[in-house]
Amino acid sequence: MNHSNTATSETLPGVLLATLLLPGLAALSTLAPLTAAAESAPEKATLAFKYGHYNDGQDGWSRVSVDAPYLYLQTPIASDWSLEGSWVGDDVSGASPRMHTDRSGASHMSDYRKASDLKVTRYFSRAAVSASVAYSDEHDYTSRALGLDARWSTDDNNRTWTLGLGSSNDRIDNQSNGVNTAINQHKRTQELMAGVTQVLTPTDIAQLNLTRSVGAGYYNDPYKSFDQRPNQRNAWIGLLRWNHYVEPIDTSLRSSYRYYSDTFGVRSHTLGLDWVKPVGRWTLTPGVRYYTQTAANFYFDPVLNAQGQIDSLGTLIRAATLTGDKSADQRLAAFGALTMSIKAAYAITPDAVIDVKLERYRQSAALRLNGDGSPGLAPFNARFIQLGFTYRF
Amino acid sequence: MSSWRSLRFEFQAMASACSLQIDGVDEQHIRQAAALAVAEVHRIEQKYSRYRPDSVTSVINAGAGTQWVEIDAETSSLLDYAGQLWDISGGLFDITSGILRRAWDFRVARLPEEAQLQKLLPRIGWNQVERRPGAVRWVGTGRELDFGGFGKEYAADRAAAVLAEQGCVHALVNLGGDLHALGPRGLPESFGAPWHIDIQHPRPDPAQPLAAIAQIALSRGGLATSGDYERFLIHDGKRYCHILNPHTGWPVHHWQSVSVLASNTSGAGALSTIAMLKGEGASQWLQTQGVRYLTVGPDGQLAHGG
Repeated sequence: MNHSNTATSETLPGVLLATLLLPGLAALSTLAPLTAAAESAPEKATLAFKYGHYNDGQDGWSRVSVDAPYLYLQTPIASDWSLEGSWVGDDVSGASPRMHTDRSGASHMSDYRKASDLKVTRYFSRAAVSASVAYSDEHDYTSRALGLDARWSTDDNNRTWTLGLGSSNDRIDNQSNGVNTAINQHKRTQELMAGVTQVLTPTDIAQLNLTRSVGAGYYNDPYKSFDQRPNQRNAWIGLLRWNHYVEPIDTSLRSSYRYYSDTFGVRSHTLGLDWVKPVGRWTLTPGVRYYTQTAANFYFDPVLNAQGQIDSLGTLIRAATLTGDKSADQRLAAFGALTMSIKAAYAITPDAVIDVKLERYRQSAALRLNGDGSPGLAPFNARFIQLGFTYRF
Repeated sequence: MSSWRSLRFEFQAMASACSLQIDGVDEQHIRQAAALAVAEVHRIEQKYSRYRPDSVTSVINAGAGTQWVEIDAETSSLLDYAGQLWDISGGLFDITSGILRRAWDFRVARLPEEAQLQKLLPRIGWNQVERRPGAVRWVGTGRELDFGGFGKEYAADRAAAVLAEQGCVHALVNLGGDLHALGPRGLPESFGAPWHIDIQHPRPDPAQPLAAIAQIALSRGGLATSGDYERFLIHDGKRYCHILNPHTGWPVHHWQSVSVLASNTSGAGALSTIAMLKGEGASQWLQTQGVRYLTVGPDGQLAHGG
């Protein structure tokens, strides 16, 4: 038995926080993108078409350019069921990723990748269960994945639990070219994800997801010499998201932090911030993302000459004398990256929205937290533009 | 392709004129959602009305001081909320103060005797309510509690939650001036535009009793107004309104009205009522609560903040 007169805390909470005691009010959270309620079956079908163009380069040297048309459809199929499918075709052309930043290693390539997935969801009064399949294919790489996830919310919709299982099987086969020929090699990955989304105040909602990923198989890059990686890669991934609605300016602030750590020795931190500001028919979303990672244990630095430039021969000799696992893949180096983006969406009608998204990405050793990234990496820049049209009917 | 329409549903509940306005495409679905929302308002009214002998409020009050009264989870949550508001307001917001109605009759221009108020004051106080899981009782007899202080606002939020659950995105709930907007207008010609809400003039020209003193744009969230004009009596040229200070038994004097915009109506209503009760220092306090507000001061001057 407790007497209601016992004000225990010295700093009293605000009135708005107190309103969360009222049943059902959390469902009215003004932060729709991250709601704590397991959603209900869609009433309308959604069709989206997006066209993205990506290009990157180093020191004014244009490397890869990708054109990607993307199609998405979600439709109710029975009163408590929905079906989602998407398809993307990437047309890639340019040079293969360089080792360190030594230009001589770059060769020209062009490829076409297509990927599609299909997901079916069954909705219950406070829960939803989805099953999905995904398939992607390019000339030397095929990936198949299966997924199962469930989410359910508490009676007051203040909390939602999520549990996900995933399994993928990738096949690498480059009979025709490549330095290390990989014939019918496989990589299998299993993933388990558990998460909770909690309404904290009427204007704050937070989410925590933990993922364990266990993978085994062929991880080498067949297009790189002196590239030999462990045949096991296990990872822990933690994702913390916090959305806050700033009432006086009708803006939602979405923030996220992601931690990643794997048995290659790569550890990374990602910090993201987005502001979502509706202005009549417009919605503007500027965003910024910072990324920093440590190098894999077996990543080897290039040999630099007295002028600080890469000594190609010295590096080759070093690579040849290294025993065990080794890689000079820039993606396994220590670096940091900064992404700036802006998205503008315009609702022609409530059911027809066009949007444009611009993104600028810069990666360099100097951007790494503490600024001590791997030596010999030239800054890497990418630009991304996407045009989209979404229609509900 | 179906066309957009705006449907307005008017109904009477909690002794007030109420309405729902919903922009959408599927008329049948809008009507169905509105019916569920109206039913939710009536459910809350019936459950907590002090005018119904079988209501939760009447049952609790009937058992006052004699026994533990079993209550359900919803009632328990409402009492938790009332307790928080009591703490936050330093005892100004008190759902046990309705007993002062025995001394105050706003239909006649007569003031209560001070002795009469002094007799009632000891029977007021949230700290005289005892709780245990699933039950409530009083520490003395002759007490009563009343959910009127936030019941209508709670019902507005619940009705909005029902509409949201039904997939309504562009809707406005109005329960006698306590409003909840689920999102901005949805019609193609006004898509994304806010709802425009008139704020009642506290001292209107008698020729235009419903004149507005201001207009507030509301896209999402709650809006509630408390004022000294809703029920009052004039004695010796002085106004005595229905918002009573539970410590003294006398009406508040300062603001003509306080309107608050918050993420839900329950919060907006509690903030505007507590602001009325706090009197002069209320604007600084509202600043600390992170909401937007509009006050009409003692001389009718408008001020806003947040």
